[in-house]
Amino acid sequence: MVLSQKLHEAFKGTVERITGPRTVSAFKEKGVLSVTEFVVAGDNLVSKCPTWSWESGDPSKRKPYLPPEKQYLITRNVPCLRRAASVEEEYEAAGGEVLLDNEDNDGWLATHGKPNDKNAEEENLPSMESLEISTNKAVKSIPSYFGGEDEEDIPDMADFEEPDNIEDDPATLQSTYIVAHEPDDDNILRTRTYDVSITYDKYYQTPRVWLTGYDESRMLLQPELVLEDVSQDHARKTVTIEDHPHMPGKHASVHPCRHGAVMKKIIDVLMSRGVEPEVDKYLFLFLKFVASVIPTIEYDYTMDFDLGSSSS
Amino acid sequence: MAEQGNGSVLQFAPFQSSVDEGFWHRLSSLKLNKLGIDDSPIPITGFYAPCSHSQVSNHLTLLAESLPSESSEQSTVPTTSQGNRNRCSVPGILYNTNTVEGFHSLDKMSLLKAEAKKIWEDIHIGKAVEDSSVLLRFLLISFADLKKWSFHYWFAFPALVLDPPATLVDLRPASQWFSLEEAESVSAACNMWRNSSSTADVPFFLVSVDSNSNATIKHLKDWDTCKSNNQKLLFGFYDPCHLPNNPGWPLRNFLAFICSRWNLKSVRFFCYRENRGFADLALSLVGEALIAVPQGWKDHQCVPNAVGWELNKGRKVPRCISLAKSMDPTRLAISAA
Repeated sequence: MVLSQKLHEAFKGTVERITGPRTVSAFKEKGVLSVTEFVVAGDNLVSKCPTWSWESGDPSKRKPYLPPEKQYLITRNVPCLRRAASVEEEYEAAGGEVLLDNEDNDGWLATHGKPNDKNAEEENLPSMESLEISTNKAVKSIPSYFGGEDEEDIPDMADFEEPDNIEDDPATLQSTYIVAHEPDDDNILRTRTYDVSITYDKYYQTPRVWLTGYDESRMLLQPELVLEDVSQDHARKTVTIEDHPHMPGKHASVHPCRHGAVMKKIIDVLMSRGVEPEVDKYLFLFLKFVASVIPTIEYDYTMDFDLGSSSS
Repeated sequence: MAEQGNGSVLQFAPFQSSVDEGFWHRLSSLKLNKLGIDDSPIPITGFYAPCSHSQVSNHLTLLAESLPSESSEQSTVPTTSQGNRNRCSVPGILYNTNTVEGFHSLDKMSLLKAEAKKIWEDIHIGKAVEDSSVLLRFLLISFADLKKWSFHYWFAFPALVLDPPATLVDLRPASQWFSLEEAESVSAACNMWRNSSSTADVPFFLVSVDSNSNATIKHLKDWDTCKSNNQKLLFGFYDPCHLPNNPGWPLRNFLAFICSRWNLKSVRFFCYRENRGFADLALSLVGEALIAVPQGWKDHQCVPNAVGWELNKGRKVPRCISLAKSMDPTRLAISAA
């Protein structure tokens, strides 16, 4: 962790300790959420997308300002069939990516895992007028996909292999451990799965997404390897590896410093189209834009209902 | 006796395990602060849910909450959130040894047999009718190397072996087996069952479809009242498996249960699967299996053979995970400096 990041964490921690949680709604004005609004939006996500559920987490890490049984949201075993880098190659071929926020270079990309398979209504959500086509995105190659298994401390278990006759049963389906749908002609990339969690970040007053990755045999991925499933424009910039506020260990996280600003833009786009955004839909909008950071992780944020009440 | 020559052997996709990092953290702290060198078996709870994506199977998952908490004096089954649809509780047992030699010298065959015996007894005393999750009992052996922060472990999902094995007469997507009206009604009934906190985590059930295509989901204990009504009756279970041509592991003990309790020779089963949290009958399967009640099954003292040690990438070896990066105080100090 770089020093500036560490200093910032210390500063943020102090501010979080001495300031109270947001109680007044500033959802439309700033794109942020109060604690109560986070719980309301979370309840709605859980009821519309039942693969998500609330968790209470480690009791010693419980945040007093959130209900004990609603500390954070999680969806487990989410498939990730391809590495993000390979998807980006497809986008290059299709004409590149579009920036949602064109004022800075670090804006959010309006890419999605599968181009052109969503209905037009959904695809139009980020306003297309203000978008700019960026042309010179280099795709970085990823040297090793299985680095995580070369952990020095793990002895070779081949020495302990059991004799073949330990179990010989005709009713057991053999070799199902590779559950992958092999993508095209590249047999290196295999299905990973993710536990995706959403916590409330009291400092930025927005939700924050965390990723815990598993390889195809459901062994924990080192957080560095998780970065392969992050859009390469965001890896190590907006996506960092930090301590999870409710779970042990280091996890990859989409840094929330620009969440408020991006959500504000999305809300403005909706309002300019005469749609009054409702705060309980916040997480659906939020997860939709997070999909541009983690385009191949297929978590559920289905929006087959109105985003808000139309004023027209 | 039914003709069995035509059917192929019914093959089940093995259950797969998944262990959350939090489980190992809590095990370490239990070992250091409470258990010491006591290596008696610990009752634990695993969690599973029906398959919810057409391309990946679900797993039996262990979380920090799978272990008893450190503070509780009575280390019985930990309290878990009841009715969480993504967390159906499954009883399990953990043998955590004090040395790596102890780990490798555990008698795996007899440990598996002991768990199979519990399942067999729960079938015979009728406990499985009231609490069907006992059919899914699992076993975990481990060695926690707290000097290197590495964990050696091996799961088993004991399955009673039918001898001769069950044969498959028919297996197809549920959407093809049911009529359109029936499929709609079955979906609606399943979604209701999954949404009610009293039934969401009950993994085995009955699907009854009347002549008007109305489906209802019932508890196993209602079998006697259902069977006489001349309705379509299927034995349903939450299937963690996503494969289109094989039911998942939980069906094995379910078939053993059905055949020893109700003495059925032909069983119509329903592998319930979801897509994004809702019933998906194109992914779900309906099949028919023929079972010849094995010799000796009438004798409760005679426990059937069992299989179920999990393979590690196709090999019969334990798994190992190193958590030095998140547990070793020296490494943590360096990364924090």
